[in-house]
Amino acid sequence: MFEFLKDKIKDITKKITKQTSAKLSVKTKIKEKVAKEFTISEEEIDRFMWDLEISLLESDVARDTAEAICEEIKTRLMKTKFKRGENIEKTIQNIFKDTLLNILSSPKHIDIVDVVSKTKPCVIMFLGPNGAGKTTTIAKIAHLLMNKNFSVILAASDTFRAASIEQLEEHAKRLSIKLVKHSYGADPAAVAFDAIKSAKARGIDCVLIDTAGRQETNKNLIEELRKVARVAEPTLKIYVDEALAGNVLVERVKQFDEAVGIDGIILTKMDVDVKGGGAISITKETGKPILYIGVGQEYDDIEPFEPEVIVSRILG
Amino acid sequence: MPISKFAAGLRNVISKISGAPIIDETLLNQSIRELQRTLIQADVNVKLVLEMTKRIRERVKSEKPPKGLSQKEHFIKIVYDELVSLVGEGHTPDIKPQKILLVGTYGHGKTSTTAKLAKFFSKRGLKTAMITTDTWRPAAYEQLKQLGDKINIPSFGMPEERDPISILKKGLDTFKGFDVIIVDSAGRDSINKELIDEINKIAQVLKPDETYLVIGADMGQTASKQAKQFNDAVGLTGVIITKMDSSAKGGGALSACAEAKVPIVFIGTGEKIDDFEIYNAERYISRLLGYGDLSSLLSKVREIVEEEELSPEEMLKGEFTLKTFYKQLEATRKMGPLSKVLEQLGLSMKISDEDIEKSEEKLRIYKVIIDSMTEEERKNPDIIKKSRIERIAKGSGRKEEEVRELLKQFNLAKKMFSKMKKGKRPPSNLSSLMKRFR
Repeated sequence: MFEFLKDKIKDITKKITKQTSAKLSVKTKIKEKVAKEFTISEEEIDRFMWDLEISLLESDVARDTAEAICEEIKTRLMKTKFKRGENIEKTIQNIFKDTLLNILSSPKHIDIVDVVSKTKPCVIMFLGPNGAGKTTTIAKIAHLLMNKNFSVILAASDTFRAASIEQLEEHAKRLSIKLVKHSYGADPAAVAFDAIKSAKARGIDCVLIDTAGRQETNKNLIEELRKVARVAEPTLKIYVDEALAGNVLVERVKQFDEAVGIDGIILTKMDVDVKGGGAISITKETGKPILYIGVGQEYDDIEPFEPEVIVSRILG
Repeated sequence: MPISKFAAGLRNVISKISGAPIIDETLLNQSIRELQRTLIQADVNVKLVLEMTKRIRERVKSEKPPKGLSQKEHFIKIVYDELVSLVGEGHTPDIKPQKILLVGTYGHGKTSTTAKLAKFFSKRGLKTAMITTDTWRPAAYEQLKQLGDKINIPSFGMPEERDPISILKKGLDTFKGFDVIIVDSAGRDSINKELIDEINKIAQVLKPDETYLVIGADMGQTASKQAKQFNDAVGLTGVIITKMDSSAKGGGALSACAEAKVPIVFIGTGEKIDDFEIYNAERYISRLLGYGDLSSLLSKVREIVEEEELSPEEMLKGEFTLKTFYKQLEATRKMGPLSKVLEQLGLSMKISDEDIEKSEEKLRIYKVIIDSMTEEERKNPDIIKKSRIERIAKGSGRKEEEVRELLKQFNLAKKMFSKMKKGKRPPSNLSSLMKRFR
């Protein structure tokens, strides 16, 4: 992940370093007197910023975020007093690092495991568009919680999509966990309600509610999700979407948040051939923290989202 | 993204392009920049956007807008043309027996699309069946079966079998004698060698007539890479966009088409099986550009271009045969009164209305006569001798004299036009030529 962006940023950093170093030697020659420190001008930076902006866009970073990143890097570069003898490349790398960390960090970070340990039963509702990987993500989270010795029950509240119940059932079977289901076309809120009741009766720690994927533009289906949320009163509402999505990602998060409310995000399909830009822009644009990223098809293929780790991946 | 916000910059800057004959450089740069922004925000591949806008910029600068089109409309038309050259004007599905393979990664709606496509063909009277070779995703078979049951179309799958090829072979056996067979292949989260090998084998056994890549409207910059990988592996023949009911603009599909050099064929517009449309360039591109009134502009452009094709300048080009003469007569009728035509040819002169009226009647008769000729006769009027004249007269319901008169007029016109072609002024005895029309 981020391979493309990583190469590009490396290249741009090198170019800025080269230009800055060249400037240093020219100044020395002309003025004969050795300049101790100097700054680089806006024009000198601008020619690299277009490259950077394009690279970010090509990695699926949302446009506004791409512009914000370029703006911040530019401002920081212009303020920097480069000194003779220092490692210029390192200084520039640090500017990139600080900027990206700034963009990626969210003050609202949530630790799911911590929340589950404090509430019983902890009800987590998963929502998001079709095909983002909600059901698989629920199985992964169930697996993760079971490894921490929490008991889990699944609610098959996607009563709409063909074979969705069978799909969740298959996961429940493989993971040996309980599942509450009704038939297709049944009220998703009622399924959630039954699962919570069952969790309370059996002393189960956590209820994971699978809902039907829907397009944010479909008012009726979104209304149905609101009803599930009203009835289940979930401890957490987690939005699941895929890293493959382009600029619509940010807009979707905003619309789901407005309609139903979102506490955190899980971004799926962050596997190798994905550019991963959505992971960079989503928090900046929506203020919602990314909690986990999905990186494969096995139950273990889920990683906590840590800005430091992500930034070190991008910068190498 | 709400339509009001999306592409607002583009609409804003385009509205500033004036009707001035030469487009303002600063404004052009601004327009190109906003166009780039809009397309990138619609998820079109960035490199593609840069290449395409470079071409658009050159064309806007070098091409003169056709008469009747403002600079602004011309700009939009060029943008539209460039986009259409990538995604195709519109799809005309072949309603005939065929085998279709659907490929794509997870979550883009391959299985739903399989059912939608099956219903599309079944509704048009073809005996249709579906096969799923997805041995990966839990309940993949159940999903297709439930959809198939809903629309009354048979489906085949083997939930316990792990080898997609043996499923496919058994499925093909089961559905011998069916007209249309649609195969839903397995996806993966991302493309890997294993998936490519699997699809490759499926294609070898199935020998599909069509191989469509199914791609969500929300897919970002990865779309072109995916299209390339699938295209290299099995050779795509089209792209189906799904989830066009979301707020996504579907620009990824455009990149995919450009990469694989195939058109968009169908568009999925919702979760229900009937939410499925044949691809139409106007609707798709209007949405991509956030330009709602594209359709009325385009019909205006088409009208103008049609006239433009038959312009007097055009007539002077090429060899002068009865075909050209005919085209000229056709054009004359479309261009309006003869006096106007002469004016356009730079031959304004005083001819009485009565004369013109008579001439127009003559033109109409000539047209009817030429309609009755064979292609060969039109190309090579010299071969028209007595027996042919008789036949043509009979066929057109006109007199033989009239046919002869037409041939005479044609030869005269031919001489005149060959002179005009050489850049000479029209003969001064043009009025005598006009009189002959009477």
